[in-house]
Amino acid sequence: MSTEHSKKAALFNKDREKTTWHDQTFWSVRMKHDDVAHQLPEWEALREHASNIKKHTITHLADYLETFTSNLESRGVIVHWAKDADEFNAIVYGILKSHGVRKMVKSKSMLTEECEMNPYLEARGIDVVETDLGERIIQLLGQRPSHIVMPAIHLKREEVGRMFEEKGISHEKGNYDPTYLTRCARHHLREEFMNAEAGMTGCNFGVAKTGDIVVCTNEGNADMTTSMPKLHIVSMGIEKLIPDYASLAVFQRLLCRCGTGQPTTTYTSHFRQARPGAEMHVVLVDNGRSDTLANPEHWESLKCIRCGACMNTCPVYRRSGGYSYSYFIPGPIGVNLGMLHDARKYAGNVSACSLCLSCDNVCPAEVVPGSQIYVWRQMLNSIGKADPMKEVMSMGMKVLFDSPMLYQTALKFAPFINRVPEQLTKIGSLNPWGIGHAMPEFAKKSFHQLWKQGKVK
Amino acid sequence: MKVGLFVPCYVDALYPEAGIATYKLLKHFGVDVDYPEKQTCCGQPMGNAGFENMAKPLARKFDDMFRGFDYVVAPSASCAAYVKVYYPRLLKGEHECLSSKKIMDIVEFLHDVLKITSLPGNFPHVVSVHNSCHGVRELGLSAPSERNIPPFNKIIDLLKLLKDITIKEPERKDECCGFGGMFSVEETAVSIRMGEDKIDRHIATGAEFVTGPDSSCLMHMAGIAKREKKPIKFVHVTQILAVGL
Amino acid sequence: MEKKEFLDRLRANTREQYDMPDMNINGITYPDTVKQFVEMTQTVGGNVIEAQETDDLNALIRRAYPEAKVIASHLPGIKADRNPDTVDEACALNGTDVGIVRGEIGVAENACVWVPQTMKEKAVCFISENLVIILNRNQLVDNMHQAYERIKMTDYGFGTFISGPSKTADIEQSLVMGAQAARSVTVILVG
Repeated sequence: MSTEHSKKAALFNKDREKTTWHDQTFWSVRMKHDDVAHQLPEWEALREHASNIKKHTITHLADYLETFTSNLESRGVIVHWAKDADEFNAIVYGILKSHGVRKMVKSKSMLTEECEMNPYLEARGIDVVETDLGERIIQLLGQRPSHIVMPAIHLKREEVGRMFEEKGISHEKGNYDPTYLTRCARHHLREEFMNAEAGMTGCNFGVAKTGDIVVCTNEGNADMTTSMPKLHIVSMGIEKLIPDYASLAVFQRLLCRCGTGQPTTTYTSHFRQARPGAEMHVVLVDNGRSDTLANPEHWESLKCIRCGACMNTCPVYRRSGGYSYSYFIPGPIGVNLGMLHDARKYAGNVSACSLCLSCDNVCPAEVVPGSQIYVWRQMLNSIGKADPMKEVMSMGMKVLFDSPMLYQTALKFAPFINRVPEQLTKIGSLNPWGIGHAMPEFAKKSFHQLWKQGKVK
Repeated sequence: MKVGLFVPCYVDALYPEAGIATYKLLKHFGVDVDYPEKQTCCGQPMGNAGFENMAKPLARKFDDMFRGFDYVVAPSASCAAYVKVYYPRLLKGEHECLSSKKIMDIVEFLHDVLKITSLPGNFPHVVSVHNSCHGVRELGLSAPSERNIPPFNKIIDLLKLLKDITIKEPERKDECCGFGGMFSVEETAVSIRMGEDKIDRHIATGAEFVTGPDSSCLMHMAGIAKREKKPIKFVHVTQILAVGL
Repeated sequence: MEKKEFLDRLRANTREQYDMPDMNINGITYPDTVKQFVEMTQTVGGNVIEAQETDDLNALIRRAYPEAKVIASHLPGIKADRNPDTVDEACALNGTDVGIVRGEIGVAENACVWVPQTMKEKAVCFISENLVIILNRNQLVDNMHQAYERIKMTDYGFGTFISGPSKTADIEQSLVMGAQAARSVTVILVG
């Protein structure tokens, strides 16, 4: 009885120290979340509002998109509509090609990961340079993000330092001090900002009423990305839309507090049009979001603002790491988004949940990803992805529990199991429980028997 | 007030003493309590495994079996939570689910319905409270640490009624112990690691006993502690509360 | 994909519709907004100078950044070597030691200062090694709800809330000031 996730998680757990470090690192972010949440008496009201604003916007999305895009277009921004990843990539490449772009700097966009845009563009001769430090590190290492907000958090400073040495980004051999390495990256990226012909940003929030693209970063890399090049391309999933500034205040206050435990990101930048002499494009992407909208059980996943709080609080994520999940977004929301994207392909992540529901309580938009995982589990059988062993066990339980007579007979004989020699119970293939647990002992007499015998007093 | 006692399957077979303590507590406070003998399991194991359809007949029978009672009380937060939260989903389109509204964990019942203010007995030991996930986040036995709501803990409120008891909570007071039903056999590595971490935090409080409203979490941790020879005991909260009865 | 087709699909897939909630949120307020703003700015790694009426701004800036060689600003009355209004290209602002801009609103809860683009090259706000933001103390508000009620966009169509210096914790969660943009931020409260 194992799943794709559980196998990788088992490997991850072999390094006990690293597992401890990973767990503590993210728990400390969860603690910071708690601190800032407790500083605001209106915290729960903010979460409730965030959820309700999103529910409203998502169920009026076409109307809001019309307002949003006509505002953008009235100021010369060019809007594109991409139904899926292929269309998105082709549109972006088309824009870059028509401008003769060879190098594009880029601030973080999970949507471009979703669409696998970087390899697509690189195959066509475009040098795509990630400018968020964490994203840049994993790009240079040829890895994918292990967390959506802290993408390189799984790496130790030595791993980053050695790679910087190899790439000629750092020059003091053996200096792995994070401040030093960050300075080196600053110099390295400064050159890239100066030389790029295009800059791409994601979009944290699109404000329909004003036509603002709002991008939040701590590093200021989205601003550097858009301040020098003459071309700004925005990649935006349509669920990022919100009605107005009053709504934005709610989300701005929640995003960073939930994501990293800071009271705000350093930069909250509003782009309404291209800067003087430049051109701005917004590519709106569906890529399955309209299907999610039609899904009666899971449409509220669209409320997610990608803060990462559910990962930080998830006891399973903290002890299995981002790479144990097969979808590019890990943790509770990643399990859900993977299932929405391709249930057959990503069913192996659904086991990664003890149903503790901490994520339900931490989520700023009340997505309830944990409760949703319970719901996803119910459909695994219908797509042929249920564990046959679990089905047999559940069937066995059903037979046993459906018949009080059978159940009571079983209770009578259960104590005999206590006599199984302990060594035998440790064989994991026969008894996965016995891998780490001693067997519980059946009571000599069950409550049922005691009750019948009048011994419950 | 008529109360139906629900002793979930694994409590029945493994921890009948928790059922007995629950019965004693209810009787002590003069409650008219009965135990319908045809009860078995709430169906949660199948539901959490992804086969809630197989739990539907159980939900139907359960709802019917406890029809005549004002409350259904169980010494198991997780099972009570399954009835409360998931039964309406299982019975959707059939008939109104009554048991969902009547079900209570014994802690909740003593605290919120009977509103008990005293208990006989003393327990001169240090206990570490295990705030099990479904007790916290589905039944509201304590304020979830993720939320910004005024702190409360109904388990601690009740334990405080005993004399000489020293009550502790572990660091990360409501982090999951890693049981999760089928999770513990499917995600063994993570489940065991979560359990070990939790046990260590309980031990770090200096407690002799870990106690809580959920025998399933206690069973999981006890299994790991026994295998790894960790020096701490596990006991259901009702057994402590009934110590003087 | 055509816009119409795109939107039609969304409309067809929309099931139950939900109303917009009422937006009465009691945002946090502080007994002393200025004090909170100053403390929060320091918490996020920034500096605050509370200028007196008699202070010379240029002297204050010089004292805060005595080593600075290249200063960029388009603000009247501020001595600068470069002007983001008149440089040919944004890249020409690279190598600026101190950039000086005006903020319009300061937010006490999180030290955000609203800096709308009032210069041709907004790069000055980010490319400068150090950033000075001049802000009128009567433009401080308690929270973001109040801030978003007040902000006004200029014709440039860009504005940003800045809260302290550029920072990152991407290497082992170790906090480092000065990632890609300004390494230090000083807010000068005037008025």
